[in-house]
Amino acid sequence: MARNPLKDKIAVAGVGSTAYGRDLARTELSLGLEAAVKAIADAGISRQEIDGICGAGMTPLAMGGAGFLSLQGALGIERCTWVKNGWLGSAFVYAVEAVFSGLCDTVLVVQSNLRGTGMSRAAARDPFRLRAAQYGDVGGDVGLGDFAKRWVHSGEPYAAMMRRYMHDYGTGQDCFGLMAVNNRAHGARNPAAVMRNAITLDGYYESRMIWDPMRIADMDVPVDCAEAFIITTAERVRDMRMKPVHVHAMSLGGARVGEFYENTLGWTENAFWVALQGLWARSDITVADMDLFYPYDGYTLDAIAVTEAAGFCKPGEAADFFKSSWDFSRNVLRLNGRTEVNTNGGGLAMGRAGGSNLYAEAVRQLRGTEGERQVQGAQTALIGIGSFFHDPSAVVLRGC
Amino acid sequence: MSEPSDDEVFAHFHDVRIDHDNIAHYRGLMAGRLLINRCDACGTWIYPHRPLCPQCLSWNVTPTQVSGKGRLYMYTFIMQSRDPGKPLREPMQAAAIELAEQPGLRYLSRVVNCPAAALAHDMPVALTWIEENGRLWPAFQPEGDAHG
Ligand SMILES: [Zn+2]
Repeated sequence: MARNPLKDKIAVAGVGSTAYGRDLARTELSLGLEAAVKAIADAGISRQEIDGICGAGMTPLAMGGAGFLSLQGALGIERCTWVKNGWLGSAFVYAVEAVFSGLCDTVLVVQSNLRGTGMSRAAARDPFRLRAAQYGDVGGDVGLGDFAKRWVHSGEPYAAMMRRYMHDYGTGQDCFGLMAVNNRAHGARNPAAVMRNAITLDGYYESRMIWDPMRIADMDVPVDCAEAFIITTAERVRDMRMKPVHVHAMSLGGARVGEFYENTLGWTENAFWVALQGLWARSDITVADMDLFYPYDGYTLDAIAVTEAAGFCKPGEAADFFKSSWDFSRNVLRLNGRTEVNTNGGGLAMGRAGGSNLYAEAVRQLRGTEGERQVQGAQTALIGIGSFFHDPSAVVLRGC
Repeated sequence: MSEPSDDEVFAHFHDVRIDHDNIAHYRGLMAGRLLINRCDACGTWIYPHRPLCPQCLSWNVTPTQVSGKGRLYMYTFIMQSRDPGKPLREPMQAAAIELAEQPGLRYLSRVVNCPAAALAHDMPVALTWIEENGRLWPAFQPEGDAHG
């Protein structure tokens, strides 16, 4: 027998269906919403009891249809600690996994289908279906015909949010600069990094402006790369060759924004905050216990958001906190005199791996195998990876 | 003036994903009207263009003209084009306008008739229209110049 710890533990509580028809003249999202509203009513729950969503999509971040991002926004579901897309058989199974693992308690699964232009000659003559097929990819028509859609799943709003953060908290750009200096200093010690030269804070301010006030030194370096992981049970890993690193707690996060990023709910309401709150509600280890910290640095703004959402300092106080946590001997951060940050240089220096190099570095540090850049005695790591709007994770790993 | 047909909307916005949920908005743009969905049951404004009210789950949603008043919530200047074959001649502004109708209701646009250095968070702005390649698009200008 294979292990089956979820046997008879998870149940289906509600079902909702729309009409079936060859041409209902509706969008994928509209149909998905109708099924969702009916399933919620069938279960007899409030939609705010939903804390996980599995939307429809062939990619984790499918947009323009009935993906989790659009569903959460359109249904006004305030907070989720787990979100994902799936299709065919997978969506149902993903949802059961998530509830069984404790990542969330109540999942809404939505699968929505439209009659595609490639499936029917009549459908191929419908201008709505043709236009949908034309923009069928992830992200839809981002930044093309209509300027108002330019910030659908775009990086540019992060620059505007950076300016708004500095305005609202009356802080300058030093916090972003210091994060860049930290990561580049660590990158200089990482032979695998593509950026091996450390920079100074002055050098940060001299770097080229891309989306004013965001500079090229605020942005991770696009590279070709891959990372992979093997995940198994704590029992099985005991018999394996490498020293184990255990997953202590984790959470995802979703906030009610949707895919038009100008609708951001505000600095302390974005998905990082939901993910970190979901993590601390599940973790016995606290932020003060962390030896290592890996905040995602797609943009330095992300890393500042994760730092503040994790509770290392209060919102808007990263600059002062970083200055009081600066290790002048190595030109890097040691938060509260203890926690080392992005010890491989992260995306800013090692290269853009979508955060997967942060997981990899955390595992190797907790094994104690990082050689010259090993943080002696490191036992605990906090990892926060993702976007303000989608796919944020918060994970505590511990060595043994 | 009669409303443009579906075919005319598809042709006019040949480079936009028109669908059943947003076509009324684009029909409005062709007539120089900025329409945002509003819930008939509870009055909530709904953006982007969705058929269901996130506040009360009513399906009675009507594309409704907004006042055009708002404030500049956040903005950036794009200094470099995504397409290396089409470099920008000057920085391109992108500005999220918080519409007066409802807190958090924002429309991505541009502030025109205003020097870059004069832009400021929360400054009052009003709707105007700009022409680009033969099409009219919403833009905003500092309030007070609305009829200037
Ligand atoms: Zn309503």
